[in-house]
Amino acid sequence: MDREEQRDRFLSLLRPIERGLENYSRRMVFDRRDSEDALQNAVLRAFRAFDRYHDDASFRAWMFKILTNEIFAINRKRGRVAEFEIAVEPEEMEEFAGLEFASEMPISWETLADALDEELVTALQSLNDSERAVLLMRAIGDLRYREISECLGIPLGSVMGNLSRARQKMRDAILRARKRSLL
Amino acid sequence: MKCAEVRKFVRLYLDSELDAKHSFEVEQHLESCAECAGLFEAEKKFDERLGRFLRHGQMTRPFWKKIEALVAPRPFAKAKILWPLALAASLVIAAGTVLVARSRPLDLANAVEECHSAYVHQITTPEFSGAVPTKIAQQFGGRLDTAAFNYRPSEPGFTSSGARLCHVGGVPVALILGHCAETPVSMIVFRKSELDHFPQTKRKLESGDPIACSRSGRYQFAARFIDDHVVCIVGDRPRPVLEDLLKTLRRADG
Repeated sequence: MDREEQRDRFLSLLRPIERGLENYSRRMVFDRRDSEDALQNAVLRAFRAFDRYHDDASFRAWMFKILTNEIFAINRKRGRVAEFEIAVEPEEMEEFAGLEFASEMPISWETLADALDEELVTALQSLNDSERAVLLMRAIGDLRYREISECLGIPLGSVMGNLSRARQKMRDAILRARKRSLL
Repeated sequence: MKCAEVRKFVRLYLDSELDAKHSFEVEQHLESCAECAGLFEAEKKFDERLGRFLRHGQMTRPFWKKIEALVAPRPFAKAKILWPLALAASLVIAAGTVLVARSRPLDLANAVEECHSAYVHQITTPEFSGAVPTKIAQQFGGRLDTAAFNYRPSEPGFTSSGARLCHVGGVPVALILGHCAETPVSMIVFRKSELDHFPQTKRKLESGDPIACSRSGRYQFAARFIDDHVVCIVGDRPRPVLEDLLKTLRRADG
């Protein structure tokens, strides 16, 4: 494959996930002005390493991994060190797989619209780096647990634990919005 | 599978992380248990709403175009790199066009060359001097006036030997024949309204140039507007000399 073909192939894989990458980057950087730098660095780095990318790997997961590394590097420069939870032991995984509070979820989401977005923004900001990264990789990047684990270099149990906690915090935000709308 | 077990696995089921066997068991239970199905639906809606919130945000197209250009310079991007060369080539072409245009004689200069050449070779001679004879005036056909024959340079170097009616490119003109430093010089005068027959010269004179100069064959040519006439001087004399003659033109009846 010559250089031109390689570029075409790289761009054809990149374009469908550009929006997801941008959303992820915006929500992950400590300073939002860093988002574009992180994206540009990640894309150029990925293209330079594209000849080492194998067809059997998920391009989406690979790009999220590179972008996450860029984001954490930039955040570190800003004095924000990424913190990851330690691995969850296998016996603890059941706790994170279950539903803790689904019965309390609102029936009509539309009535919460404004209050809900406000609470969700606050809740998202309250997540630690690992919770936010895992939640966004799952919700925006559609990555599998295993892929998230490889991207972040953390055990599968940690992915599930972080995801469960992140979701719980977001659910709490929805409950707060529900309470506000009932006042 | 019992309710407690299903609730343990339903989150994995929603994330498509359960294997086929467990997925099938969860689905079977949800079909038969209204309470678990309700919880499942609520969680599914939560996922959808959260996903909508997290995925919300417009893509910054110009930014991605910039990144893609860095990754894959397109033909136009290459063209951008070559723009100094393209600009230089354009300038050369433009300069060449101007030079060619400048070196190409004006249409009116071409037209009067034959007339003057005939005078130089004594094929054409003056028909009259002084006032325009009635017989000749009758041939104007309303397209020329006697005033056209009254222009003379006040430059003392010019001497007139007479005039005659002539046609240049189908346009009736006053041809005033004379000499400048013993060199034959012709003056051609016609109505400004006839200038449409010579569009190049018209453009040149109407572009603001007070005097339009050109060269046709071995003769220099200069033209200008005076009142409602176009006055040209042609001859084998330096261009500035012809321009000076034009600048000092006076109409005898004016």
